[in-house]
Amino acid sequence: MIEFAHVTRTYGPKTAVSDLSLAIPRGELFALLGPNGAGKTTSIKMLVGLLHPAKGTIRICGHDVVADPRSAHLHVGYVPDEPCLYDKLTGREFLWFIADMFGMPRHLAGDRIDREITCFELGEFADDLSESYSLGMKQRLVFAASLLHDPDVLVLDEPMVGLDPRSVRIVKDLLAARTQDGMTVFMSTHTLAMAEEMADRVGIMVRGQLRFLGTVKELRGQVALEANSLEQLYLELTGSGGGGS
Amino acid sequence: MIGRAAPGESIRLIGLEEEARLFLRLRISLVWQAVRSMVTGSRLRLSLVIVLSGLFWGALYGLFLEAFTFLDVLHADVVPLLFNAFFSSLMVMLVFSAGILLYGGLYCSPEARLLLTLPVRAETIFGHKFREAMWFSSWGFVLLGSPMLVAYGVVRDSAWPYYALLLPFMLAFVIIPAGLGGICCLLLVGWLPRLRLHLFTACVTLACLGALWFGWTLVTEPEADTMSAAWFERAFSRLRITEQKLLPSWWLASGLLEAARTDRSGRFDGTSLAEAVKFLSLLVANALMVQLVAGGLARVAYRRGYSHLAGEVPAKRRRRAGWFDRLLVGSSSSPGRPLRLLLVKDLRIFRRDISQWSQFLIFFGLLGLYFVNLRSFNYHNTYASMIGFLNLAVVGLILSTFTTRFVYPMISLEGRRFWILGLLPVDRDQIVWSKFLFSFVGGVVPCSVLVFLSDCMLGLPWRLIAIHEFCCLLLCAGLSGIAVGLGARMPDLRESSPSKISSGFGGTLCLVLSSLFIMLVVVVAAMPTHLFLLSRTLGPTLMAADGLLASAGGPWGTALSMLVVALAGLAATVIPMRLGLRSFRDLEA
Repeated sequence: MIEFAHVTRTYGPKTAVSDLSLAIPRGELFALLGPNGAGKTTSIKMLVGLLHPAKGTIRICGHDVVADPRSAHLHVGYVPDEPCLYDKLTGREFLWFIADMFGMPRHLAGDRIDREITCFELGEFADDLSESYSLGMKQRLVFAASLLHDPDVLVLDEPMVGLDPRSVRIVKDLLAARTQDGMTVFMSTHTLAMAEEMADRVGIMVRGQLRFLGTVKELRGQVALEANSLEQLYLELTGSGGGGS
Repeated sequence: MIGRAAPGESIRLIGLEEEARLFLRLRISLVWQAVRSMVTGSRLRLSLVIVLSGLFWGALYGLFLEAFTFLDVLHADVVPLLFNAFFSSLMVMLVFSAGILLYGGLYCSPEARLLLTLPVRAETIFGHKFREAMWFSSWGFVLLGSPMLVAYGVVRDSAWPYYALLLPFMLAFVIIPAGLGGICCLLLVGWLPRLRLHLFTACVTLACLGALWFGWTLVTEPEADTMSAAWFERAFSRLRITEQKLLPSWWLASGLLEAARTDRSGRFDGTSLAEAVKFLSLLVANALMVQLVAGGLARVAYRRGYSHLAGEVPAKRRRRAGWFDRLLVGSSSSPGRPLRLLLVKDLRIFRRDISQWSQFLIFFGLLGLYFVNLRSFNYHNTYASMIGFLNLAVVGLILSTFTTRFVYPMISLEGRRFWILGLLPVDRDQIVWSKFLFSFVGGVVPCSVLVFLSDCMLGLPWRLIAIHEFCCLLLCAGLSGIAVGLGARMPDLRESSPSKISSGFGGTLCLVLSSLFIMLVVVVAAMPTHLFLLSRTLGPTLMAADGLLASAGGPWGTALSMLVVALAGLAATVIPMRLGLRSFRDLEA
């Protein structure tokens, strides 16, 4: 479903992502972990076509995101770290705009918009201008928009920022249900507990390189025996443990 | 819950026309909502904009009507030259402004980031942002050009086809330079990422130098010769460079001149109208061609350029002005230190925000250039004094746009970071006073230098120079007081964009009050001088009036006017500041 093949991306002299090769099958929830500046957001921006790799290729459902971006985007839903909306559109108008962009038939679009509004509890403010929304409300609307066309691949960059505990629960349940239905999720996060709870596999990036790829169970088995919590394992891998407790 | 349908059944890639319709609907919704919120939320601002635009349009129409009537009688042959010069310089400006606006819209806006992750064509995104940039860069042309062209039609007694063709001509014309600006922008970002800034800076510098040189050669004639028929002849001969048949500005000028032509009976001339339509077709064809080329280029270059630009590494900042900041802060732990630290913070933000200092530099630089050239116009004493006061008003008005645009939003922007300042051991009053000091010192230095320059170039006596400098000092204090005081009284803590803060109700009020204050100060200060000069020009036949005017314009009149000016300055500084300080003390972030 998602395939990174020897992907490298540079910013001037700095290599942000180095020779990343990764394949994520249908129905898997993959969590990308790593410290700040590790290359997580760059990887995600390349996956959604905002950045082009200096070397290598990225494919979504078989479509090259650089050579054929529109076909690739048709299969993707994207929730960025900073929600972007049109201030002078209402939440419902924004959802209609996205539905039209994906060429959805009117009746189906109407049903899906109602479904997402109910699912993310947007009903109370769906007809207000989005300039009046709080960060959490904006994030919920972006989630709704990204799932409107039932994408094959959902890309999430720090998805829980700004969400209240109830919304976090809704998102977690929804992701679990959608992955069961065959949707692939590629998520970057700092929240280790969330990765532990939800991810089928995790990848740990450090300074642009994938240091670890596997399940949480495999991760536990690979790192030092005395490290008994996932946090400690993570700190060991990323080299930021510093001997702290 | 509705079951998950197979993607192939529910979604598809939409066609180019569908994309265009979708973005048109989006644009209409955005404009409609913006107009609605302006009508409901900013009535004062909207009314002011409409009234002032109407006044501006009317004044320009009157001016052009007079000018064309004069030219029609004596120099009808120079009209094509003037049209060509006007439209060609406008074309250059439109290329630059559309290019800069498109750069911001295509490569730096959050909207572009959203659209690039959707299944939409790159050329559609370009087209969407292109129309936006074209509108923002060319509305001034419509406001400035329409009174001129309507006035020309009235003077030439043109028939209705001329007026009907005005809008199509303008629209077809603006697409060409805007499209060229877009093409330049795409090429620069897509293929010359590393050279982009340097190339752009070089182009702008060259264009500015060229314009300055051209302006200089027009005005630096021997003093006695200025404004004479020979001077006009020489100036116009230099403008002939703009009459190039390959330039769209020539097609526009020629088309409009043909459309305005009438036969002896005052009806439109069929042959001329056909010529006009031919020129319009030429413009439309080229506008479509430019759009086609720009769209094609966007398809190839936009996504690639966006990615390239994101890979650019900003140059490391050098601490060139660090010594100045350290000098300002000082090493002592005196009670004024927090105030100075706040000042240094604002100074650093000003230095690092190119939009602030570049506008400051451009406006005051142009004003300086104009003042330096004042000596070329050999003014009579009465005119020199009047122009001195008008220049003082212009300096004040330019400063008031800066205080409204940049100083008024400062407290609102500080309010958003209130948790930083709120936790520091800094008195809230000091925050407000630091803004006032920043604005006052930043304004008084360039303004007093400019006013002094203007007065010296006009050859005004020391008494008038002292009066102007005194007024300038009070204007800077009053304008700073109004901007900072109102900014603290009506902060907008939710908005992060300074331009949006300054364009709200408070910002509009600040600009209106500032303008009224400037008018009051300048009129009151100018009155005694002009009464005095008037008394000297009335002659012996009006002795009674002469005596009255002379006494009003004498030392007592001047002293009284200065007292009124000082009181107005004091009121403009103290009243808003007191209101602002009281309000800011009680502010809950």
